[in-house]
Amino acid sequence: MSIEERLVEFVVGLRAAGVRVSVAETADSFQAVREIGVMERDAFRSALRTTLIKEPADIPVFERLFPLYFGLDAPPMLPATEQMTSEQLEQLRQALESLPRQLADLLRRLLRGERLNPREMASLRAQLESRHAGNGHSDLRQQELQEMMSRLSQALMSRLAQLLSWLLSGQGPTREELEQIGQEVGLQRATHPYQQPWLTQRMLRAMGMDQLARLLEELLRELAEAGVEPETLQQLAETIQGNAEALSEQVSQFVGATIARQAAEQRPPPVQIADLMQRPFQSLSPREAEVLREQVRRLAARLRSRASLRHRRGKIGLLDPKATIRANLRYGGVPMEIRHRRRHLKPKLVLICDVSTSVRPVVEFLLHLVYELQDQVARARSFAFIDDIEEITHDFAEFRPEVAIKQVLERMPPGYYNTDLGFSLYHFCQEFLDAVDHRTTVIVVGDARNNFNPPRLDAFETIRRRAKRVIWFNPEPPVLWGTGDSDMYEYLPFCDAVHEVSNLAQLTEAVDRLLTA
Amino acid sequence: MFQSKDEVRRALAEQRYIATDEIATALFLAERLNKPVLAEGPAGVGKTELGKAWAAATGRELIRLQCYEGLDETKALYEWEYAKQLLYTQLLRDKLNDILANAHSLAEAADRLAQEEDVFFSERFLLPRPLLRAIRSPHPVVLLIDEIDRADAEFEAFLLEVLSDFQVSVPELGTLQATHMPLVVLTSNNTRELSEALKRRCLYLYLDYPSLEAELNIVRLKVPELAPQVARQAVELVHRLRRLDLKKHPSISETLDWARALVMLNADHIDQATLDNTLSVLLKHEHDVQRARRALGGMEMPVRDADTFTDEDRARRRPRFRPPFSDT
Repeated sequence: MSIEERLVEFVVGLRAAGVRVSVAETADSFQAVREIGVMERDAFRSALRTTLIKEPADIPVFERLFPLYFGLDAPPMLPATEQMTSEQLEQLRQALESLPRQLADLLRRLLRGERLNPREMASLRAQLESRHAGNGHSDLRQQELQEMMSRLSQALMSRLAQLLSWLLSGQGPTREELEQIGQEVGLQRATHPYQQPWLTQRMLRAMGMDQLARLLEELLRELAEAGVEPETLQQLAETIQGNAEALSEQVSQFVGATIARQAAEQRPPPVQIADLMQRPFQSLSPREAEVLREQVRRLAARLRSRASLRHRRGKIGLLDPKATIRANLRYGGVPMEIRHRRRHLKPKLVLICDVSTSVRPVVEFLLHLVYELQDQVARARSFAFIDDIEEITHDFAEFRPEVAIKQVLERMPPGYYNTDLGFSLYHFCQEFLDAVDHRTTVIVVGDARNNFNPPRLDAFETIRRRAKRVIWFNPEPPVLWGTGDSDMYEYLPFCDAVHEVSNLAQLTEAVDRLLTA
Repeated sequence: MFQSKDEVRRALAEQRYIATDEIATALFLAERLNKPVLAEGPAGVGKTELGKAWAAATGRELIRLQCYEGLDETKALYEWEYAKQLLYTQLLRDKLNDILANAHSLAEAADRLAQEEDVFFSERFLLPRPLLRAIRSPHPVVLLIDEIDRADAEFEAFLLEVLSDFQVSVPELGTLQATHMPLVVLTSNNTRELSEALKRRCLYLYLDYPSLEAELNIVRLKVPELAPQVARQAVELVHRLRRLDLKKHPSISETLDWARALVMLNADHIDQATLDNTLSVLLKHEHDVQRARRALGGMEMPVRDADTFTDEDRARRRPRFRPPFSDT
C-alpha cells in the first residue's frame, strides 16, 4: 500500500474519531510528507500533526491513532533474493533447474518477487496431481521428489502457500486479502484495543504462520539436496524470517487500525452545541454539562467583545470637543478627525441566587457566565439563599468557578423543602443593602417558589427603590408562574424585566441585553 | 531556505531558542509549503519569542502586528496620510493656481485638477501599517501576527484574504502584490475560537509548557549565572506550581524572571525566606500566592532559617528518642 493510500486511511480514521480534516489539509499532509520523507519517524509524525490537527483537543486522538496506522516502525518486506550475490543466485538457479520444472518455475517466480494468482496455482496443482497419480517411476529419489511436490502442491492451494508466496516475493497481502482474513476471524465485530494482540494472533494463524517453520524447513531441505550452498540457504531463511516478522507487524497494524475505526464508528455522535443551547439545564447529562460549561466560556468571550464593539460603534452624538480640537491641531484646526467620548458601561451587579435543587443548574451556569464576564462586570457581588441568605462573593474571588460553585453548594445542601425567599430578602435588606446603589443592577435567579412563606414584598420594594434595575431570571416557563407556591406574579410588578432562562440560549440572550442596555 | 528541519533547529538554537522537533518541522514546512504557522498555547510558553527567533535565524526583518479588540484595516494595513496631503496642497497652492488659472470653465478646472489627482493618491501619501509593510518590503520578512484571538472575527476574516494571496487592493492604487513571500507566524492564547477557515490555511503548532529537562535547558541557556543545583530546584518548583489549581500558572518568562531574581539575591539554595520574598515574581494573583504557600508548606527544604519554622514544624521535629535518665 502506498504512503498516500495509508495517509488517506489515517485521515478517514481521524474523521471517524471526530476530528475535522478537510481535503485541503489532507493535500497539505501529502506535500509535507514529500518534503519531510517517512524515514525519520518523529519528523514524519510532526509533519502530519502540524498539517492535520488544528485543535488542542484533537491532539490526544492523533497520538492514539498514529501508532495504529503507522505502526511501531515496521520494517518493509523484501524480495527473498534481494541481498544475494550473483554466484548465490546462479547456484539457486541451478538448484531450481534440478527440481521438477513446474515447482522450480513456481519458486523462481516467487523468488523474483512475483505473485501468483489463484488460477495459476489451481492449474499447477492439477498438473502436479496428474503426474503424481499417472506415472510409475521406480527411481527412489524421483519418488521422494514427487511426494514432496505433492505435499507442496497441496500446500500451495492452502493459505500456507499463499503465505510462502507473500514471504518469498516480499509483497504482503493486499487490503482485500487482509479484510477477507479479518472477516474469517471475526475482526469486524472488534471495537476494543485490548482485542488487538489476540486478533492479530488469530489472523496470523489463519494465514498459516504457525506452520511456517515446518514448511520453510522442508523447502530448505529440498533446496539443500538440490545442491544449494548452506550460506545461501541461510540467507534465504533469514530474509523469509524477516519478512514474516514484517508481515506480523503489518497485520497487527491492520488489526489496530480496523479496531480504532470500528470503535470510532460505534461512538455516540459528538454533542451538538446548537442543540445543547436549547436544552433545559435540568435535562443535561454530566458530559453535556461539561461541554456546555466550556461553551459558556466561549460565549462570555464573545459577549464581551460584542458588548465592547457596540460601545465603540454606539458613539454617535457623544462628540468630545476637547479631544477633537486636540487631535486636529495638526490639521490647522480643521476638524478632520472627530473624537467621541467613550461610554464606560460598567454595570454593578448584585446577584441573588436561589440554590435550592430546582434552580441549581441555572445558577451554576449563570455564575459561570458572570465569573467569565468579570472584565465587563467589574463589580459584582453574589448572594445565595435557600432559607437564609449569605454572601458568596469571596468564594468566587478566591476560587475557580467549578470549585467555588461546588463549595457553595456543599455549604448549602439542598433537599429540605424549606426555601424562604421572603425571609432571605428581608435579611438581605438588614445586612447587605449597602451593596445596592443607584448604579446597581439586581438580578434575582429563582423560581419564586416561596414554600408558602410570606413573600416580604416590602423588602423587595426597598431593594427596588435603591437599585437601578431589578431583573428576574426564572427557570420556569410563564405558564407555571403563580401556580402552587409560586409567588412570581407578586414580585412581577417590582421587576424591570423578567426572563425565562431554562437553557443557555435564553441565558445568553438575557445577559447580552443586560450588558448593553 | 533551510535544507532540513535539523538545520532549522540549529539556526534557532543559535538564536538561543530551544526548539522541539515539532517546532522545527513546522517551521521547515511553513517555508516549503508557503503557509503561515498558527502557534497556540498558554500564555508565556514562547510563542512570540518563536516569531522573533525565526526572523533572526532566517536573517529576515521582523514585522509585528499586535492584535487587540477593535483592530481594523486602517491600523493593520494602511492609512492615507491626510495631514501630509493637506500640507502638500497648501505648499503647492501656487502651482495649482497656475494650472487652474487659465481654465475657462469650472468643468475645465475640475478636469485639470483630476489629472493631477494621482499626485495626491500615490504611495507617497500611503502610510503603510504592518501588513502592507510586510507585503511591500523589498527584503524578505517574518510577519508576526500576535494574539490573533484578541482581534474581532471581522478582522480575522479580512486577514484570510491577505494570508492566502499575499496581496491587498488599495482602491486608489490597484492591487499590491507581495515582493517576497513573508514567513508568517500567528499566535493565539485560545481565548476565542478561531475560524475553521483560518485554521485550514495554517500549519498548526500547539506549544505547551516544556518538560522539566527542556525548561531547565532554557534556564541554563538564558540565565547561565544561576548555580546548576539552584536552577534545577527552581524549575522543579515551577513545575509543581503548574500542577496546582491556580488562576494563572507561571510561564517560562516568569521562570526566567525568577531565575534572574535568584541570581540577584545571590541565592545558593532556595529556602523558605527566599521563596516568600520572590514568589510574587512567579505568581501574579494574591490568591495564587496564598494557595502556593499552603501547597508548598510541606515542601522539603534543604536548609531553612530557624525563624521561619512554624510551631507545626517544631512539633514535627521533636526529638524521636527520649533523653537519657528522664523517666526514672
